Amino acid sequence: MLIKENAVFKGEASGTLLLSQSGNWNSRIRGTSSMASQIIREWSGINTFAPATQTKLLELLGKLKQENVNSLTILVMGKGGVGKSSTVNSIIGERVVSISPFQSEGPRPVMVSRSRAGFTLNIIDTPGLIEGGYINDMALDIIKRFLLNKTIDVLLYVDRLDVYRVDNLDKLVAKAITDSFGKGIWNKAIVALTHAQFSPPDGLPYDEFFSQRSEALLRVLRSGAKIKKEVFQAASMPVVLVENSGRCNKNDSDEKVLPNGTAWIPHLVQTITDIALNKSVSIHVDKNLIEGPNPNQRGKLWIPLVFALQYFLVMKPIKGLIERDIANERKPAWERRDAAFRKRDFY
Amino acid sequence: MVNRLVPRFLHTMDTYLRTHFVHVGKENIKNQTHQKPFFLTPLLSLIQSATLNSTMSSFAASNNISTAILPSRRSKPSRSSSVKCNLSPSKPNDSNPTAPPPPLFKAIAISSAASILLHCTPLTPFLSNPLAGGGNSGGGGAGGDGGWFGGNGGGGGDNGGFFSRMFAAIADESQSQEWDSHGLPANIVVQLNKMSGFKKYKVSEIMFFDRNRKVRVGSEDSFFEMVSLRPGGVYTKAQLQKELETLATSGMFEKVDLEGKTNPDGSIGVTISFSESTWQSADGFRCINVGLMQQTKPVEMDSDMTDKERLEYYLSQEREYKRRIDRARPCLLPRYVHDEILDMLKRQGMVSARLLQRIRDRVQKWYHDEGYACAQVVNFGNLNTKEVVCEVVEGDITKLDIQFQDKLGNVVEGNTQVPVIQRELPRQLRQGFTFNIEAGKQALRNVNSLALFSNIEVNPRPDEKNEGGIIVEIKLKELEQKSAEVSTEWSIVPGRGGHPTLASLQPGGTVSFEHRNLQGLNRSVNGSITTSNFLNPQDDLAFKLEYVHPYLDGVYYSRNRTLRVSCFNSRKLSPVFTGGPGVDEVPPIWVDRTGVKANITENFTRQSKFTYGLVMEEITTRDESSHICSNGQRVLPSGGISADGPPTTLSGTGIDRMAFLQANITRDNTRFVNGTVVGDRNMFQVDQGLGIGSQFPFFNRHQLTVTRFVQLMSVEEGAGKPPPPVLVLHGHYGGCVGDLPSYDAFTLGGPYSVRGYNMGEIGAARNILELAAELRIPVKSTHVYAFAEHGNDLGSSKGVKGNPTEVYRRLGHGSSYGLGVKLGLVRAEYAVDHNSGTGALFFRFGERF
Repeated sequence: MLIKENAVFKGEASGTLLLSQSGNWNSRIRGTSSMASQIIREWSGINTFAPATQTKLLELLGKLKQENVNSLTILVMGKGGVGKSSTVNSIIGERVVSISPFQSEGPRPVMVSRSRAGFTLNIIDTPGLIEGGYINDMALDIIKRFLLNKTIDVLLYVDRLDVYRVDNLDKLVAKAITDSFGKGIWNKAIVALTHAQFSPPDGLPYDEFFSQRSEALLRVLRSGAKIKKEVFQAASMPVVLVENSGRCNKNDSDEKVLPNGTAWIPHLVQTITDIALNKSVSIHVDKNLIEGPNPNQRGKLWIPLVFALQYFLVMKPIKGLIERDIANERKPAWERRDAAFRKRDFY
Repeated sequence: MVNRLVPRFLHTMDTYLRTHFVHVGKENIKNQTHQKPFFLTPLLSLIQSATLNSTMSSFAASNNISTAILPSRRSKPSRSSSVKCNLSPSKPNDSNPTAPPPPLFKAIAISSAASILLHCTPLTPFLSNPLAGGGNSGGGGAGGDGGWFGGNGGGGGDNGGFFSRMFAAIADESQSQEWDSHGLPANIVVQLNKMSGFKKYKVSEIMFFDRNRKVRVGSEDSFFEMVSLRPGGVYTKAQLQKELETLATSGMFEKVDLEGKTNPDGSIGVTISFSESTWQSADGFRCINVGLMQQTKPVEMDSDMTDKERLEYYLSQEREYKRRIDRARPCLLPRYVHDEILDMLKRQGMVSARLLQRIRDRVQKWYHDEGYACAQVVNFGNLNTKEVVCEVVEGDITKLDIQFQDKLGNVVEGNTQVPVIQRELPRQLRQGFTFNIEAGKQALRNVNSLALFSNIEVNPRPDEKNEGGIIVEIKLKELEQKSAEVSTEWSIVPGRGGHPTLASLQPGGTVSFEHRNLQGLNRSVNGSITTSNFLNPQDDLAFKLEYVHPYLDGVYYSRNRTLRVSCFNSRKLSPVFTGGPGVDEVPPIWVDRTGVKANITENFTRQSKFTYGLVMEEITTRDESSHICSNGQRVLPSGGISADGPPTTLSGTGIDRMAFLQANITRDNTRFVNGTVVGDRNMFQVDQGLGIGSQFPFFNRHQLTVTRFVQLMSVEEGAGKPPPPVLVLHGHYGGCVGDLPSYDAFTLGGPYSVRGYNMGEIGAARNILELAAELRIPVKSTHVYAFAEHGNDLGSSKGVKGNPTEVYRRLGHGSSYGLGVKLGLVRAEYAVDHNSGTGALFFRFGERF
């Protein structure tokens, strides 16, 4: 049942006073993450997929192992209520993350780790970044702290397909992601459009609507991320379609398929694998990346030099100007006259 | 030239005297002496002091405030404020009553409440409008410069001043029955010597008759002012004789006569018939300063000298005069006045008494216009030669006398050390210089700026021992050394239910004390404590304790450095934690600073200075409810408040301690052109952290301000003239390298940053640049202005920890433009904020630049 609609802000934040300090948040988050990393369960959910899908996935995992990749971390980000959690559940194949329709997920990211044949898949589900028309700085901050000392192999940027317009919010989200993790993360990004089982209005062909929608979204992401056009086109960010609904059409081999006929889970995992294996390096989140370079430390060594330059290049010249002023001062006639006049005096 | 003249001296004694000195025909006057060079001017013997209300409102205002409380005390010195200044050995002019009428007295007292007095000896005998002059002195010199010489006209009865008119009028009233009828038939002419010595004659009219031209002379003639008689006055024969004698000895007339004509009502009409003295034409003019020179001593001439002896005598006199001219110092009189006078001489041909009078007026006018108030033409010599010699006493200062007075005006030994005052006096008031009223004013201003005296008088006084010399007296009344003040205010705060209750009355106020002029060297200690509630002062106690030590290099040394040590605290709302446009109220953060500061200020000029010193302070950041907070708060979209905003302090605890060096150099050469500021003002300030304090703060925070007031049109300077339009260009750069706590971040927006925005509404950043331009157009007595301003964070908002600019959704840059009008101290301006595109009307106090 798909009942998750544009539920943007709701949930535990509403009306509650969050007076905890960032330090407290820190410890709480660290607690969760360590707990999550402890329990790496067997990826049993894979068995729930259709056999064709299972084969495809195992094939892809094998490919990754061949490339000596034993673990993969996927970061799922996006606005609130676009279907991030559902997508995570769909990939894993079990209800690992509670979906909270009509409610925001709460400001905590969740990491789900599953292993299969010596391969570990980590998927980090994050809360929606938008709250009340602005970037939720607090949520972003928590995500960043959560990701501390982790390596992101793939960023899954989730949005909905059935939205006709892009707006400034998408740009803000893109900007927030860039500001947090750097431009490099876009080389590891996949755009996932949910609610793919959707009939475009006015008989617009499905493929045309999809290409228009993805193009518009990519454009706004590019401008938000402040990536140069050429670079962006060269990188060619892949766009995949996702349908999490239980009413998703299935093909003969019981695979969930999109209106255009592709089975989306294998396609998604395929794209993830491609991205994970592309030449760009994965993003390792360290303290520097989160907090940025400490501006207070920048140029500190130069201070004595700066001070000396100020003395010689600013203060001295100003003093010189003052002396010039004194020399050029317009004295009243009586003052000038006496000064020149009294020289001849005897007394 | 002398040689050529010698033959002429052989003729007669009369010729010689007439040649060389202005004198009067001896026919009518018995007791006249020929040997003495006479004075041309009718000397003013009584000179009314001009009470000065300083023309500079800047300090007059401050003084008025303090003195307005004690008008009765101030009024005392004014009684002694009239001063006699006889620069030349003239007879006291007894034709004037000496006591001014009571109403005027009062006026002087009021005006002297301004407490700064400059007594001058106004010798301007011819004021264009004596009544206006007198009125001015009564009005306390409110009319600006006019006040300086306001009292002049009142000085002499000779020139129909205000006083004499008053006196005449009063005399008329009170003595109306006290004159005697002439007791003779009407319409007969009575010679002066035929008049009765016992009668008081009432003079109904005075007429002048020029014998040379055979015409009656109207009262507009320059001679008229020499006569002290007034129509309607009552005079005895002796007084009339004296008057005639004065006229005769003035040297203006070859022959002068006075006769009365009886009127039917018992009064007499007086006719003064005269013939003007004339000399041969001259084409040279020389002005010499005879001040401080011995007057030529008349040598008794034996009546039975032989012709040869006489000749020798005259020759010796001639030589002596020549030597006198040579010895005399040249005058201050500039070339152009000199040329003007030469021109006058050339055009006239014959040198007449009237011409000499005009020359005297011209010379004296120049002196008085230039502020040489004691300068006076005393004599014309060398007449009947090719060169007219004008002898001037310029008013050379022979002594500078500094006196202290107690409250009652007695001379006392002052606490203030004399060098402290001496260093404030312009050189031009020292011995050897010519007294200038402007130098006096300057001294007054400078001494007043010491803020040590309740009353300052600069008073030039003739030197009795040294003829023609001036003693400048500076009389000072010291303020109380110690003062303490308690001012209280009660604020009624709303209690429960909004009704004020007794318990909610809070006693608040200020306790301050000052101990000034320690050791007579203008050192002072002062302190103050302010709170809004003395019962619970820990809430908002503000205190300040300061020690000021001027003349750090010694009072005799011209270098002017002042040491200041102060303890202070302050509480300010941080503009860093302010919301941008569209953001609801951001919970405020208060920044409390408590610390010690020691700095040395070196004054280069009155406005330019260099300050450097050490600051040690503790900074505490508090939230609305005065609790120490380490992070800013922000309102969540849900309405909740989260306390994880940008950090408020460097240490992260809400309390920072730091020590840093602070240096500030200000160059200011602005001046007022008809009331508008024109010039340059540059300021550079640097705070250099020393790495001492919490988190070892090491930083270099600097800011440079450049403001230029460009005069767009040259205008004539002077009081009442319109000010020029001015273009103001302003730039301000601020930057910081190293540790930067949020309270030290530079903020953009506000009435002194970018107008049209709230304080900090544009952003808070590590480096900022502000640019502004303002065009001021004078309109009537004020000005209107248009401005455009821009502030930019140069992308450095993220250089402040926690990026408060972004957290509170500010843009980091913004422009504004608008129009305004200056209404007294208030600026009313309409400013459009370019970020939101909306405009608003603002009222602000003070100047933006």
